[in-house]
Amino acid sequence: MGNMKIKAKEKNGVVSVKCMAKHEMLTYDQAKKKGKEANFITHITAKVGDKVVFDVSTSQFWSKNPQWKFKFKGAKKGDELTITWTDLSGKTVTESKKIK
Amino acid sequence: MNRRNFIGFGVLAMATLPATLSALSAIDFRKEKPDAWKAHTVEDAIKALYGDIKPEATGVKVKAPKVASNGGAVPVTVKSDLQAKSVAVLQNVNPESLVCVYACDENSVIDYMFKMKMKKSGTITAIVEGADGKFYKGEISLEVALGGCEG
Repeated sequence: MGNMKIKAKEKNGVVSVKCMAKHEMLTYDQAKKKGKEANFITHITAKVGDKVVFDVSTSQFWSKNPQWKFKFKGAKKGDELTITWTDLSGKTVTESKKIK
Repeated sequence: MNRRNFIGFGVLAMATLPATLSALSAIDFRKEKPDAWKAHTVEDAIKALYGDIKPEATGVKVKAPKVASNGGAVPVTVKSDLQAKSVAVLQNVNPESLVCVYACDENSVIDYMFKMKMKKSGTITAIVEGADGKFYKGEISLEVALGGCEG
């Protein structure tokens, strides 16, 4: 089992992606209370092959274990979608899934 | 690791990555516009991100529940039929205003959903930077029953 749950489906040329990552997403305020370092996902990129299809810079205000959805054109069934996130500590996680 | 170190790390990481020649390249808005992430008001954050702009209040739909029972995970959807370069989402109740910035190209479909934290009742604003160079805005106000920033 990986860190992310990814679902990608193609319909009429548009790929819909549902994704969920496991991450604590500690804000600066929460971290202070708990006496820990703030840490949250800061950047998420999705690629099909070499092509970036989705890109977002995020802040501490995405929820704990964030879920997100996005859509894009220009990929087909069977293509492999690769999603990478980076957090504040510099950790990166990459996982891929075939588009259905 | 503090914020300053992180930005430094980002620069380093970007430098070591091979440059991609795709239409949509990964833009790290944290690296490009560090000030926008520290802004405490929506106006300041927009200014730091896009400069002095006057977005038109049309063409952008922001969806969220009218009353969110759990401020720790408020589902927000941003939709638009516009051809966009980027989409920024902001709110006016958390310590800093900027929530996230999407980079888009002609293959992107602006139909983004994510879950966010809201400290209390407030307004979520989405700014779309159109491919035509104009800016568009959508807003939604919602009530939050239980604040989500205190953990």
